[in-house]
Amino acid sequence: MAENDERASGPEGGKAVRRDSAGRRIKGRGNAGGDDSQMQQREGQFESIGTAGAGAAKSVEGWILFITGLDQETQEDDIHDKFCDFGDIKNLHLNLDRRTGFVKGYALVEFEQQAEAQGAITALNGTQVLGSTISVDWAFSRGPARRAAPAGGRRDAERGGGRREDENGDDRRRKY
Amino acid sequence: MGETNEDFYLRYYVGHQGKFGHEFLEFEFRADGRLRYANNSNYKNDVMIRKEAWVSQSVVNELRRIVGESEITREDDNHWPLADVNGRQELEAIVNGEHISFVTTKIGSLLDVQESKDPEGLRVFYYLVQDIKCLVFSLIGLHFRVKPI
Repeated sequence: MAENDERASGPEGGKAVRRDSAGRRIKGRGNAGGDDSQMQQREGQFESIGTAGAGAAKSVEGWILFITGLDQETQEDDIHDKFCDFGDIKNLHLNLDRRTGFVKGYALVEFEQQAEAQGAITALNGTQVLGSTISVDWAFSRGPARRAAPAGGRRDAERGGGRREDENGDDRRRKY
Repeated sequence: MGETNEDFYLRYYVGHQGKFGHEFLEFEFRADGRLRYANNSNYKNDVMIRKEAWVSQSVVNELRRIVGESEITREDDNHWPLADVNGRQELEAIVNGEHISFVTTKIGSLLDVQESKDPEGLRVFYYLVQDIKCLVFSLIGLHFRVKPI
């Protein structure tokens, strides 16, 4: 675990400027590294579902839509009334701005069937809710196809984007 | 939706070492949509949850908007309380061409924010963290059907 608070800025003044690989100045006391995974918990297996490839990804119990551009006064009913035409809504999250208490601007809607969710995208993307133009898209994608991992250690796998792949497309749960 | 090609990265960590070991929550988004999530509590049963999913560009763009509108990159953690035995929070973000890597202790409530040396800056951090946690819990909760705590 990174423990570099002491090394950090100290009082104002002689703080060395740190830059990332793209030349951006890094502001703050943290142990930033760059744009690859900096997770402390990067070792070990991250469980995912589904298979790589193009297009939307199915979630465990259905298909999740991500709606953006919502007016801050939007209510759950406003979303429900629009989306229930396309199927039974299994879940609806309309999250609030924690400071203002108003709607943050996005919502997640779950349908059981892909066709229902696709219907809602086709019909509702670019339409208006409370005078605000909304965007309706999938929340999850299947992720890029992965090349077979080199036989090396996990650093290689983490860095190069080469990770073990399920070549057979029907493996529902993959771990790497 | 793929029009924003500018770099983006976001990682948040909160954790502490206690009688139940290293308990933490951590997640990370990359510009290409890879979301990684790890959550460990040794309380009761000690299963580490590690999830990975790929979110659409719509989600990445919304996150970009939330982080951008918070103006967190205008703040600095210079005067924030240091990580201590109560715990540690880290927020690293690359957004709008800026790169921040902030560290502070756990914040229990707004009272901690108000009593700090930089209440305005810490308040921005405090609410932004809650907003992005809220988004991540919705994404992970719905996708994997898990209840993160």
